[in-house]
Amino acid sequence: MSAIPEFASTVHEVADAAEANELYQRNGWTDGLPIVPPTEAAVARFLDAAQLLPETVIGIEPVRRRSLTAEKVAIAAVMAGCLPEYLPVVVAVVKAMCQPEYALHGSTASTGGSAPFIVVNGSVRRAIGMNATHNVLANASRANATIGRSIRLILLNVLGGIPGQLDRSTLGHPGKFTFCIAEDEEDSPWLPLSVERGVPAGMSAVTALQVESPLQIMNEWTHDPREICDTYAAAMRSNMLLYSIWEGNYAVVIPKQHREIFSAAGWSKRNIREYVYEKARVRRGEWRGVGKAAVAGRKDEDKVYCALRSPDDLLVVAAGGPAGGFAAILPPWYGKKSLAVTMAIGA
Amino acid sequence: MTLRVLDPTQSAHGEAPRLAPPLASLEGAVVGMIDNAKIGTGRLFDFIEDILKKEYRVRECIRRRKPDASRPVPQPMLMELRGADAILAATGD
Repeated sequence: MSAIPEFASTVHEVADAAEANELYQRNGWTDGLPIVPPTEAAVARFLDAAQLLPETVIGIEPVRRRSLTAEKVAIAAVMAGCLPEYLPVVVAVVKAMCQPEYALHGSTASTGGSAPFIVVNGSVRRAIGMNATHNVLANASRANATIGRSIRLILLNVLGGIPGQLDRSTLGHPGKFTFCIAEDEEDSPWLPLSVERGVPAGMSAVTALQVESPLQIMNEWTHDPREICDTYAAAMRSNMLLYSIWEGNYAVVIPKQHREIFSAAGWSKRNIREYVYEKARVRRGEWRGVGKAAVAGRKDEDKVYCALRSPDDLLVVAAGGPAGGFAAILPPWYGKKSLAVTMAIGA
Repeated sequence: MTLRVLDPTQSAHGEAPRLAPPLASLEGAVVGMIDNAKIGTGRLFDFIEDILKKEYRVRECIRRRKPDASRPVPQPMLMELRGADAILAATGD
């Protein structure tokens, strides 16, 4: 059993787990779902597993200068239902989200109501039992569910991202409860996302991107990779017209059925990115057809807007069940105001 | 036997922000106005500047627009407002 270190947090004494849950619910310290009581012993066990001292600063939110200590991060991970060995993954996500280009404060506070989307790469995925296949964007794995939930509890309790207070989301979306997946590296012909983004092969890493709700597409009627990408680009154009026209990082989650088509045609992730970059464009005047005539005419209506600043802005992720010609487009919170950040685990 | 559980929240470090003491009068004052780059702020500030000057006899309004609504005011911009007797910051969509 781990020795109990000196904690900075206030200690509350409760009769049992049920009473602990009621206390946390009453104080608004949860996302509405029940929590696992963050006892001193449990938090100590988590910190021990990650070899962290309670006072270690994992990151500082750059705008309000809030420090995120290992102690508070571990408390959130316990509450979310993590196992101790998940903590290094949660820590890496926090580090990624504290990078200035992630714009954690703005994206958390915005009426836009986005959520952190987390992709995990490397051997840690299998070591902690993450899911990369069936039902990948939803429930199927304790690790996926609770790592994502830990981040929500940190935003809520450490950064004050309370709905109606600092979190001004008009709608939000279900990904705000938890939104964490693994990439299906074993069943993919492509380089893992983290390797494409500069992390050495063999090293586990996380990539975080602040996204709106996923747009699911279906195309099961072609073996032409260009036609599959045409459908992806159409979803992105739809987002540009209906939500936000501004360029930035988009993610596309590609399941096995589509990957096989790309693979047979010899297409890499780069080929997909380059094709989609050319196709995901709208003319400002198209806003007139979706009820936005009032704003369309403010500037040159023949101006063409790209969804991506360059092909590299598209994050291509191999994940999803083996059958079904479905894929998902994840649009950015607000153009390039918040960018994807990749962080090696243990960095 | 009781459970000892840890508080998950964290309060801000350092001194809590507080409003500066109010000016006795705005007559002859210099007022800084930080536009947060939201779409309606410019028009709102036009109205406010007009009222400040005509009804409250404010001497000068120094207006600056943040480059990005989601990020803090850049330090050089803050320094440009150093001479102001009062500062307004707008928020909202």
